[in-house]
Amino acid sequence: MIGVLQFIFRLPWMLLLATLALVFVGASALYSASQGSWAPWAEQHLVRAAMGGIIVSMMTVLPARWIFKWSYLGLLGALCFLLILQFIGVGTGATRWIAIAGFNFQPSEPAKLAVILALARYLSEQTPEQLQEFVTYIPAMALAGVPFALVLIQPDLGTSLMLLAGGLTVIFAAGVPRRFIFGAIVTGLASLPILWAQLYDYQKARVMTFLNPDADQLGAGYQIAQSKIALGSGGLFGKGYLMGSQSQLNYLPEKQTDFVFTMIGEEFGFIGNVTILIIYFIILTSIILIALRCENRFARLSCIGVSMMIFLYMFVNVAMVTGLMPVVGAPLPLISYGGTAMLTVFTGIGIVVNASINSHLEDSDYL
Amino acid sequence: MKKKRKEQRELSGIMSRRTLMLGVGQAMLGGVLVARLYDLQISQNASYKRLSDRNQFDQRLVQAPRGRLFDVQGRLLAGNSEIFELLVVPSRVDNLDHLLSYIGQIVTLRPIDIKQAKKTISRQPDFLEVRITSNLSQRELARLAILSPVLEGVSFQKSFRRIYPQGWLTSHLTGYVSPANERDIESNAELRFLPSSRIGRSGIERTLETELRGFSGIERVEVNARGKPVRVLRDKQEQAGKDVTLSVDVSAQFFAAERLRRGISETMPLGHNSVQAALMQNDELRAHISTGDNLVLKDGNGRLVPPESGAIVVMDIHTGDVRVMVSNPGFDPNLFSNPLSVRDWKRLNDHPRTPLLNRVISGLYAPGSTFKMVVIAAALEAGVISTKTRYECTGGFDFGDTTFHCWNKRGHGTIDGVQALEQSCDIYFYQIALKTGIDRIHNMARRLGLGDVTGIGLPGEKPGIIPQRSWKMQSRSTAWTPGETVIAGIGQGFVLTTPLQLAVMTARIANGKYAVTPRLQADDKPVEFAPLEISPAIIRVLRKGMRAVMNGPRGTARKHDVNGAGMAGKTGTVQVKRITKEQREKGIVDNIDRPWKERDHALFVAYAPFDEPRYAMSVIVEHGGSGSSMAAPIAKDIMNYLLKQDTA
Repeated sequence: MIGVLQFIFRLPWMLLLATLALVFVGASALYSASQGSWAPWAEQHLVRAAMGGIIVSMMTVLPARWIFKWSYLGLLGALCFLLILQFIGVGTGATRWIAIAGFNFQPSEPAKLAVILALARYLSEQTPEQLQEFVTYIPAMALAGVPFALVLIQPDLGTSLMLLAGGLTVIFAAGVPRRFIFGAIVTGLASLPILWAQLYDYQKARVMTFLNPDADQLGAGYQIAQSKIALGSGGLFGKGYLMGSQSQLNYLPEKQTDFVFTMIGEEFGFIGNVTILIIYFIILTSIILIALRCENRFARLSCIGVSMMIFLYMFVNVAMVTGLMPVVGAPLPLISYGGTAMLTVFTGIGIVVNASINSHLEDSDYL
Repeated sequence: MKKKRKEQRELSGIMSRRTLMLGVGQAMLGGVLVARLYDLQISQNASYKRLSDRNQFDQRLVQAPRGRLFDVQGRLLAGNSEIFELLVVPSRVDNLDHLLSYIGQIVTLRPIDIKQAKKTISRQPDFLEVRITSNLSQRELARLAILSPVLEGVSFQKSFRRIYPQGWLTSHLTGYVSPANERDIESNAELRFLPSSRIGRSGIERTLETELRGFSGIERVEVNARGKPVRVLRDKQEQAGKDVTLSVDVSAQFFAAERLRRGISETMPLGHNSVQAALMQNDELRAHISTGDNLVLKDGNGRLVPPESGAIVVMDIHTGDVRVMVSNPGFDPNLFSNPLSVRDWKRLNDHPRTPLLNRVISGLYAPGSTFKMVVIAAALEAGVISTKTRYECTGGFDFGDTTFHCWNKRGHGTIDGVQALEQSCDIYFYQIALKTGIDRIHNMARRLGLGDVTGIGLPGEKPGIIPQRSWKMQSRSTAWTPGETVIAGIGQGFVLTTPLQLAVMTARIANGKYAVTPRLQADDKPVEFAPLEISPAIIRVLRKGMRAVMNGPRGTARKHDVNGAGMAGKTGTVQVKRITKEQREKGIVDNIDRPWKERDHALFVAYAPFDEPRYAMSVIVEHGGSGSSMAAPIAKDIMNYLLKQDTA
């Protein structure tokens, strides 16, 4: 009995409560997105959140070693799905989803998490000396590079870049020598023109639209222009729940998915938007504090990876709807409508909770 | 070993530093987002607010014209007339009352329009357009157009109003439309943005609502940087609702309605002094005149009375096409197209003769003697009598401790079934009903189309009641008594039918082979009905009896046969008030001398031509006196009209 109470007491409550808060923000926003109705989005959102709760609970009681052990297998599975996608995927223009038992499953989302865990395992197994050698980073680059390439050819530039960024974060946090970092930056900048040449026309157009959004108000720039109008007209306190004219009159596209932050901004204003950012800040800070507390490198690196994953989702989405970045199609974690991303985030949070409970374990405990 | 420990500590330090660096980086980028939001939502709020307001004018839904209704000859029953509406967006107006009083100087605004608009404004977000009036004349439109630059938040647009050129004549058939209410909007959010949309509330308008409505389009007004309209883009073309042709013939409908309304009384000119005098004191007469009815009659006693109320149905006995469907009094469906005024609604609701009720499908009447075909058919089928079975009628029939009377006090003598139909002898039917039993009568009635909805496709159709033992047990928890069978034998007691069901019954008898069902939508698809499965010998007896009603020496409607073609019919006179023994001994008071409400209903069912039947008809005149004096002559004239129309 005492054991159970201690266990419950040791859970990272700040993180869990903040997560729950975002889920409810999401449900009420989706209720508004369907003009004041639970169907079709809000109720489904809550069902998925309940599934997420089950995932987090399971991850909590899982022995920490298992996550470590299964991380390579997880990446292998993700790679298989990405490969299958090339043959049977569905999606508008790009092949991004697989229909499984009535659900549209987007394999690139769990792939982000798989890359983080696989890299965390690989790097935590290296001795400090090995970490100083260049040859150690060749397999590491492959672990991130192969899934990156598979997502890029879907084609989904935005997701592939986010996946790569997650991987690089883990490598950075693992203690890669500074000389390698400078080398990577120089190589990266040099290869930009080559990468540009590889882009599809619509991807180029997106970047161009981003650079000059006013040029094509009714075409590619339309979404961003309308999103900015909706946010801007929301003001300090917003127009009131269910009263956002941009959203309710359907000027705002995709208001249940990528543009949900805009709708919240129109109806609840600056105050509403900043409140959401503060909740994310609480989540990210909790995760980083847990990472710092962990005695073993695997848990530490996976926590950092998860924090970066959640941050990137959130940052890219908000930067996109506020016109700071091109429209790449990134969900707002735990708030916007979309099953795969939401469950991926829940799994990530589950891993963090597990790390938090097992923070006393040392590297040798995993061997 | 020591070196290794040191290296590990060093690595751990690097990792912690880098973790913190990432955290700080995240916080800084988060700060960029907050700054961006501040810039958009606080600094540039005013300019974005303007853009957002303008957006609402940029795009709007375009109302699709509602599908039209035509009669079988292609005459318009329900159509759309173009109107111009004045719209206001409250969020763009500084002082609404000011604006409305200013507009009121340019165009005519009724107080009810303003009240309605204010109610709507209080109910919905202020960025939605609100219609102020929908009756702009061309001149008002021109004046508003000139003033439009100074009228911020005011606009006008073309729209449609539902019109019913036949007015009250087809009111129960077409039904009416009225503005969408909150419940409609809940089920279809689009309606919120179409303030001029109308929803079918009764009649065909309601039944075919989804087909008639069509699909709205989307129009976008493209504006340049100064907000000046450049061009109008059609994002989505609106799609007009489907036009529907009905089987009803408006000219026959008009003839039938006028004929029913006149009854057997003399029409009076409205301007006549006696009419004007009567209007001063007679509330009921005034109620009629106030709903737009201008027919006044002088009855047999010289009293001024409103037109007869009742119902007439005529249907084609082969296809089931309903040619005439009259329910009087009617109402003007045009009144509902705009928000109905409280005064008009009160007039319709308080009217003593319920003009909103479609008597054809929702009026329940005891069929009286028109039910006798059912009873004799059931008796013949059960084999309890043969075509030759005769009974003696002495004017009364003692059963238990009650005496059931025949309408003819002197009695009909000894007669067979055909003669019993001809003279409508009640005694004969008391006898055979008892022998047949209520359950077999029920079965035959149901097969002839009574006691259930016909499925004509109008809302509010009533099934009526055809009693049987189990029904009585279920609905009243008491056992059926033989005395109730006796009274059901002459179509009274529990038996209740609609005028439409009686027309269907007559059509099935005239058809003889198929269980004809009525329909309102004329189409070219061949009709298929279930077989009637009543023996031809029985049908022959019914037809012979119904023919004798018209041309037999003692037929109850022998004065009203259709010359040439010949008609078959059956009269019905239905008591609405029980006659006490005392009254019977004193002598029954003539219908005309009783208060209207206590007079008998006059019924008549008929088909014609006799040899090659084409039309079946039922006529019900509420409190009209008797079937033979009131309903039969009406039926005769209408049948004459229809047959003449066919040969012409």
